[in-house]
Amino acid sequence: MVNLVVLSSQTHRNVRVATARSSGDYAAVNAVGVIPREFQRLLAHYPIFFTKSTDTGRFEPAALLGFERHENLFLVNDRWDAVYVPLQIQRQPFSLIPRRSDGAPANPDGLDVAFDLDSPHIQTQEGERLFLDDGQPSKLLQSITSMLATLVSGSTEAYAFTGRLAELDLIEPVRIDIEFVDGSETKMQGLYWIAAAALKALPAAQLADLRDREFLEWMYFQMASLAHMPALVARKNRLLTGAAAAPFP
Amino acid sequence: MKSDAALPADPQPIRRILVVGGGTAGWITAGVLASRYPQRGEDGISVTLIESRQQPPIGVGEGTWPTIRATLKQIGVTETDFLRECDASFKQGSHFVRWVDGSDVDAYYHPFTLPVGYEERNLAPYWLEDPRGQSFAESMCFQSAICSRALAPKQITTPEFTGLANYAYHLDAGKFGPFLQRHCVDKLGVRHMVDEIVRVESKDTGDISHLVTKSGEALAADLFIDCSGFSSLLIGRHFGVPFRSQKDVLFIDKAWAVQIPYPADDTPITSVTVATAQSSGWVWDIGLTTRRGVGYVFSSRYLSDEGALEELKNYLGARGDLSPDLSYRKIDINSGYRQEFWTRNCVAVGLSAGFLEPLEASAIVMIELSAKSIANLLPSCGGGMRQAARLFNDTFRYRWERIVDFLKLHYVLSRRTDSRFWGDNRARESIPDSLREGLEYWRNHCPWHEDFSHREEVFSAASYQYILYGMGFRTYPAPWLLNDRDRNLAREKMNETAQYARALTASLSGNRDLLSKVRRYGLQKI
Repeated sequence: MVNLVVLSSQTHRNVRVATARSSGDYAAVNAVGVIPREFQRLLAHYPIFFTKSTDTGRFEPAALLGFERHENLFLVNDRWDAVYVPLQIQRQPFSLIPRRSDGAPANPDGLDVAFDLDSPHIQTQEGERLFLDDGQPSKLLQSITSMLATLVSGSTEAYAFTGRLAELDLIEPVRIDIEFVDGSETKMQGLYWIAAAALKALPAAQLADLRDREFLEWMYFQMASLAHMPALVARKNRLLTGAAAAPFP
Repeated sequence: MKSDAALPADPQPIRRILVVGGGTAGWITAGVLASRYPQRGEDGISVTLIESRQQPPIGVGEGTWPTIRATLKQIGVTETDFLRECDASFKQGSHFVRWVDGSDVDAYYHPFTLPVGYEERNLAPYWLEDPRGQSFAESMCFQSAICSRALAPKQITTPEFTGLANYAYHLDAGKFGPFLQRHCVDKLGVRHMVDEIVRVESKDTGDISHLVTKSGEALAADLFIDCSGFSSLLIGRHFGVPFRSQKDVLFIDKAWAVQIPYPADDTPITSVTVATAQSSGWVWDIGLTTRRGVGYVFSSRYLSDEGALEELKNYLGARGDLSPDLSYRKIDINSGYRQEFWTRNCVAVGLSAGFLEPLEASAIVMIELSAKSIANLLPSCGGGMRQAARLFNDTFRYRWERIVDFLKLHYVLSRRTDSRFWGDNRARESIPDSLREGLEYWRNHCPWHEDFSHREEVFSAASYQYILYGMGFRTYPAPWLLNDRDRNLAREKMNETAQYARALTASLSGNRDLLSKVRRYGLQKI
């Protein structure tokens, strides 16, 4: 269970965050929500699809990490096996929650920084401090706060992006059937991608609008990212054949 | 030289369609025709709808049948817009309360999802053999569990017009017409006129040549569609096609209707039409997103207007819904339908064609079926009109007869004895022969596909199974027609149904919750 508390410079003056952070429980997922601003960096490692939010039904961009529930093939020996880690993972165990009280280091959007008090990353002896002796936020906390702010604005951008794409019928469902090296099969459902044929047929004015809003660029990043699917399958195959310990080249 | 066979009797092309009346019937028909034949102008057809705006819509046709989803999709509206703009909610069937013996535990469901295994095998005999303490609808259909908990038939992630359980809608008829109108006019190129028709002009052949309006315009057309409601302007007043009253079979002839506000913004919305039997009819109770629509349809032969109002108030009072602010509206119901619906170059759709009590929400589905049939049968030229009319009339006479049978079934199976209304409903002379013969047959044979002769039945064998076995009718199939293979299959399917019901009730959100989410986020097309 997550024990979420609002971060306070008074109460949590001596809290430290483990430096050599394992990805832990947060990473036991087969897909993670991402924002368009990180597409360019995600493009180096992950296939980026769309999934539907179970809460709102809206499309959200997500990086695919594995094929089964809780299967993260980028987690090798509890270490993230890729140069770039999605912001949603990096930010853990911190998050922003709607402000309820004052006196906490909050960003200007009326949100408070909160964290999971029970997270193994939160310590008092070792690791990096969140606050300096005078109660000012440390470099680490500053970077966490800015990361969280990026995610909030990025999520607004993501919904504007997917909302427009859905309106233009530029998102289509995709069914992925994969047979792994051991003969086992998986059928992935609930994944969507860019409807490339519809994009090609899009009238010039709508295309220009997508370009002007940077959406077109993001769409191409996403389409290009699908080239990582064979690599993801290869990760799984290595796991199945017992070669999992070898880090991905 | 061309052979005679290639020369049509009347080469006049059928390209100008005029719909008379702008209620639910008018706009559905215009929408279906205009979306099916999207070309306008030189290369296509014209669809014009004229309405007088003299009469307010009857506005009690708030229940639909699952066909409405395909119809809306065909017309080209989105489910999100429809749900939002018509205050619509999800309807998953009907709940019949106190119809069998009037006791406190007397209630059963008629869900929209087909009985389990229905596509492969008739498993009803095996439920009858061993119901395991469960009602037919519970044993054979997972949807009963969803309905009884007021859950939604889908999730926010489920695409538009698809469901995890079969569903239709409850809608605000006063908003549905204007909603379709906007789409038909803006997107489908339907021409809309507000004017009153004062005269009908005929050709020598007897066909209508044009309608003259109050403002002096002459509206010529090749096909006239009469959606003028109870006034039945063309089929009734002009052509004088006789009306076949069904009042000797279906005794309902009046209704009191009232709108009930929800006590709170988060009051659950029932996902079925609740039909509660009374002394001389029954009360409908329909939940929209903004209010409930409640009404008592009754027979004036057995109950006075005042008596009926009193019973309706008792119904409301028992639920804590009674308040002095409520305004009750009286509606006359003339059960029956025209002897024919398509005559010469005129076809009637909606109330002008006929009306029956709303017990199984047949009004809007008949409009949809009529519109679809007209679109399918639409002749290229006048010479084809007679055959199209004959086919249409045969099909729809059959459909009205079957609906009458099916509605009557609910009364015939009742064992209520609290008034003459119920007793007389079981009198042999009030039961159509076709229904009597059906009931005789079903004594030893569970209703099945071949019992009904048409490709598209309004009420299929599944509906008959739900009503018959929901109301405690017993079928005794011959033992030599039953076997262990099907018996085991039935057992298996019933177990699966129970499991599926458990899984869905754990994962589906409330009808109200989902509708609120749709209002906020919309549903995705895919």
